[in-house]
Amino acid sequence: MSNSNTKPDGAARLGWAGVRRHPLLLVLPALVLLILIMAVPLITIIARSFIDPVPGLGNYSWFFSHKLNLIVLWRTFVISFWVTISCVLVAYPYAFAMSVAGPRLRLILVLCVLVPFWVSGVVRTLAWVIILQDTGVINQFVIWLGFDKLSLIRTQLGVTIGMTQVLLPFMVMPLFAVMRGIDLRLIEAAKSLGSHPVKAFFQVYLPLSLPGVFAGATIVFILALGFYITPLLLGGPSSTMLSTLVQQQVMSLLNWGRGGAMGVILLVATFGFLALASPFMRRKYDISGGSK
Amino acid sequence: MKIDFLTRSALAVALISGGAALAQDGPVAGDVAEGSLEGETLTFVSYGGIYQDGQTASLQPFVEKSGVELYSDGPTSLAKLQAQVEAGNVMWDVVDTGDFLPYVHCGTLFQKLDFSKIDTSNIPEGQVGECSVPAMNYGVLLVYNADKYGDNPPTGWADFFDTEKFPGTRAMPGYAEPNGYIVEVALLNAGVTKEDMFPTDVDLALDQYRAIRDNLILWQTGAESQQIIEAGEADMVIAWSGRALAAVKNGANYEPVWNDWVVVMDQLTIPVGVKNPDAAHALINAAIGKQAQETLTEQTSYSPIHMGAEPQVDELTAKWLTNSPERIAQGYLQNVPYWVENYEALSEKWAEFIAGY
Repeated sequence: MSNSNTKPDGAARLGWAGVRRHPLLLVLPALVLLILIMAVPLITIIARSFIDPVPGLGNYSWFFSHKLNLIVLWRTFVISFWVTISCVLVAYPYAFAMSVAGPRLRLILVLCVLVPFWVSGVVRTLAWVIILQDTGVINQFVIWLGFDKLSLIRTQLGVTIGMTQVLLPFMVMPLFAVMRGIDLRLIEAAKSLGSHPVKAFFQVYLPLSLPGVFAGATIVFILALGFYITPLLLGGPSSTMLSTLVQQQVMSLLNWGRGGAMGVILLVATFGFLALASPFMRRKYDISGGSK
Repeated sequence: MKIDFLTRSALAVALISGGAALAQDGPVAGDVAEGSLEGETLTFVSYGGIYQDGQTASLQPFVEKSGVELYSDGPTSLAKLQAQVEAGNVMWDVVDTGDFLPYVHCGTLFQKLDFSKIDTSNIPEGQVGECSVPAMNYGVLLVYNADKYGDNPPTGWADFFDTEKFPGTRAMPGYAEPNGYIVEVALLNAGVTKEDMFPTDVDLALDQYRAIRDNLILWQTGAESQQIIEAGEADMVIAWSGRALAAVKNGANYEPVWNDWVVVMDQLTIPVGVKNPDAAHALINAAIGKQAQETLTEQTSYSPIHMGAEPQVDELTAKWLTNSPERIAQGYLQNVPYWVENYEALSEKWAEFIAGY
């Protein structure tokens, strides 16, 4: 290793000593790969949105002058919001159960979250079609009970249910990671000082777990914005999301420029949303973190 | 020895040019010269599933006789094809597409075909385009739940829109590519005659569907339409004949309405810039042969486009085939040139409709 230090040529600078001095060199291959497979296509898409078919802002003025695009963009955020909320509501108690369970039960709970993850999203979505459709399992039961059939498939509700199930692991895992680190004796301490258990939960446990909630919610929300197959199969005209419109423009109509512009707008909107959310999240981290 | 070599060369040239002249005299659909594509490779692209399996099976004699190495790829994607053409690296030699695309992108993505290399004499009139020959025929038709409408069944497109006389849920295609016939059958319902239809009022047509929106399901894929029929999710479905037949074979009690069924087809095309256009033409010429078309129909239930084809199919399948003289007489031909011309405008209005507006 010390040999390379004495070599005067270029190899020395990239030798072990060089790496030791500049540890960032270690990530260089990964960085190059990332640039090739991420940055180049992204830049191409952005560039095409401004030059295809003619240079200018035509694709963007097209997007903002068609009401449909704006409605679908807004709807994409609304559906993603509800998916995030329902993921939190389902995942929170589940992750809590995981964090307090014994080793065997915990293993079973982890498997229940992860096994569906290994099954293709299309297959899972088709399973939901069978469950939710008008002649499906749920409605057969509802009709057997003597009620009117529920409109589940081809509605925003159906899309929200399907997407919640697909995205649940992204919520459960960050929550579980945070909850596992929370000292449950703090609640005992609160109770021993006269706090009602419900109050102890809201004042002690919940604030400590919020970093997990926000981490999971951010991942779920961003992934939901780009969902394609689930809204397509479980949704109807009232639940079309932006990715479906992008697919139409690019795959069917060969309007790469318009599709690119839609992608850029979604990306910018997502960054905007994150910028709005991040100070809020940082504040919550400070309450729980303690270490400054 | 030198003379001998020259003589032999001259003989060879004479033979080759004579052979070429013979080939120009007329290829026969389904035929290919023995060993003529030895050492060549071709990539055939289609939509997968039993359809592409059937196509591959129908091309087996061509592969064996010509010696070509045949690869399959898919599913067909116009965007992927465009990327290949733009990059100057076309890996798809023959591509099966929907019926409008070769007309919309003729000369830009799909090359103009050399009909001295393809025998189209057995294809029904009006189906061969500048850049395409049909791969097979099928129908878009109204199918209905026979249990529900048994005594008083729907008989034409107008009944699809009449939710008073025929209460029940409807389903129709709702995928991104617009179809001219969707507009045409709705205009007929609105009282517009075939003669006065063009230029069309697309809004008026789509309003016919909007009027029954509460009873309407849009299906995205052929598989979904089949599933909707099998599960009884809709009582009247605008479906592809092949998918409806598959559902009926799986036990769905649905019947077809043949009155004004829409004649549609898949197309065989050759992209611009393929490495071996002659071999690609040879594949298309083989695929439209009598025997190949019979095999395709027997395996997929799509109708043959070779007028002399006599596929051996069961009674139920025969009932759903669209190539009998009676069916051809009942068929409705959409105005393909008009829709190609107005594709962009139709696409925009269609996109709004399928997104719920």
